[in-house]
Amino acid sequence: MSLLKDIQELVKQDLISDNQAEDIRTYYQKKNSQSGNCLFTIFGVLGAILVGLGIILIVAHNWDELSRLTKTIFAFIPLITGQVLCGFALIKKRENQTWKEGSSAFLFFAVGASISLVSQIYHIQGELSSFLFTWILLCLPLIYVMKSSINSLFCIIGITTYACELAYWNHPESSAYLYWLLILAILPHYYHLYKNRPESNFMVFHNWLLALSMVICLGTLSDKHGEFMFIAYFSLFACLYLLGNVRFFSQQKLLNNAYKFLGTLGTIILLLVLSFDWFWEDLRNKPYLFKEIIVSPEFMASTILTVLAVVILLLQQKNKKLLSVKPISLIFILFIYAFLTGLSSSISVLLINLYVFVIGILTIREGARKDHLGILNFGLLIITALVTCRFFDENLSFVIRGILFVSVGVGFFVTNFVMLKKRKNG
Amino acid sequence: MDKNYKLLAVFILLALVQIFIPAKMIIDSEDVLNTGVEYKFKTAPVDPTDPFRGKYITLRYKDNSVEVENKSDWLSGEEVYVVLNLNKDGFAIPKYISKEAPQYKTDYFKAKLSYVNSDISNRVRIIYPFNRYYMEENKAKKAEEIYRKSQSNKKHVAYALVNIKNGEAVLKDVLIEGVSIKDLVEKETID
Repeated sequence: MSLLKDIQELVKQDLISDNQAEDIRTYYQKKNSQSGNCLFTIFGVLGAILVGLGIILIVAHNWDELSRLTKTIFAFIPLITGQVLCGFALIKKRENQTWKEGSSAFLFFAVGASISLVSQIYHIQGELSSFLFTWILLCLPLIYVMKSSINSLFCIIGITTYACELAYWNHPESSAYLYWLLILAILPHYYHLYKNRPESNFMVFHNWLLALSMVICLGTLSDKHGEFMFIAYFSLFACLYLLGNVRFFSQQKLLNNAYKFLGTLGTIILLLVLSFDWFWEDLRNKPYLFKEIIVSPEFMASTILTVLAVVILLLQQKNKKLLSVKPISLIFILFIYAFLTGLSSSISVLLINLYVFVIGILTIREGARKDHLGILNFGLLIITALVTCRFFDENLSFVIRGILFVSVGVGFFVTNFVMLKKRKNG
Repeated sequence: MDKNYKLLAVFILLALVQIFIPAKMIIDSEDVLNTGVEYKFKTAPVDPTDPFRGKYITLRYKDNSVEVENKSDWLSGEEVYVVLNLNKDGFAIPKYISKEAPQYKTDYFKAKLSYVNSDISNRVRIIYPFNRYYMEENKAKKAEEIYRKSQSNKKHVAYALVNIKNGEAVLKDVLIEGVSIKDLVEKETID
């Protein structure tokens, strides 16, 4: 309101012309209506999710008073309602994203509710994994038919839970290879989102959920040679990190850049975990049969992901100076060296500690160069984490551990102090 | 316009599939209930909740293991066909298991093997696909109590009534001393 008044005043004072005033008004009107639309979609979808979940809970009460026939009819009411709403959105509200997202979110839960109710009426035990699989398969096409991003997000969550249920939580465990096919089925929508609505919240949510889902589910491939999964994980984190460095993602806020965030954090955490000797001791003492290993799923996953990471790295470094390469993006190659050495020698644990230390120092240097306190302190944090891990190492004497802690503490003070002083003077 | 019609056609197809899957579950279960052969499975002592399907009582079965010739032929979690027999009291017991459905006319159902351990016995355990009996939310707890009490009393016979047809099994009822557990809960609530 004050803005409109201001415009009138500016026109009166001949600071802007009538035409300019009109343009400004139209700009703000359009802007307001856009943010209003976004809010509508958020509330529409939230409403649909709550109603859908509510129906599932009401269904789960299991009404004994109702006959089997009545219960069966009830099983279809939410489903048909959801379908009618989606049909209506498709025919009458074709351009209205709120309607499409809201109705398909509702239908997603209605499908789940109706399968649950039928299973309950007939005491169909069925495993949670097969229930989730049927549910996702029945709702996955909705992503494309309704162009619904919320359905795509639900499907990613569903597929991830399905894979975890099958490979982590279920006993006896079985493999979840179908997970990868289902994730592939979602990628065209992700690409569509990237092309058409790259700035939307849905895009950010997709970045996060897809990356998290892959990080969680890569482990489902682990079978008898779990140690080799570390190579696969380092390469996956390298792929994520490199993807996060692509211009489209690197221009965004760090919190919106899930790939860079997870790639960095994942690499550092894995390195810290492996900076203890227990893993390497196991690796040295376990007999390995080359014939068995090269046909194992762990080896295949490691090979595919490593090749992928190398390809992305080479593409990104094309026409760039060799020294411009980010240290974290090279860890996956250095780790393979440490891993192969670790099969017979105990030096690998030292190598890993050295990697973490060098990454920490290089990050501090980058922070100092860019005059960025965040990066600088992140580097210090990496070193602190490394030192904290060594705190639990019984092989080191108290004095050495004490000196390490004191020096990192002093490092924190000095670097931050120098940087702040430099800023003041600058 | 053309594209929209296509999209609508795909949506209608999808909607039909979404209806077909639960409908098929109903039709198959009804078929087994109406025309399948009824078996009684003696249960053994065990209020879990399924986030989607509500409360149920977990049933464990007394005769859930079967002798095999060579244990190493069988894997943990493997899907098998269980062919049935009756014991002298008229309760169902597994006769044998096979990797393929029996070719001759007999009653059998699909199930999964539990962990196949490496002890010396030649028996493998079967996870029956009908070990959940769904109940109304506030009755499940009571039913669980009644069920547990009956299990501690050795004279009481608790069993599950299951219909079997063409490899499929549908749990019909859980009975204690011949009375449905639903009726027992009802009676106890009134008392």
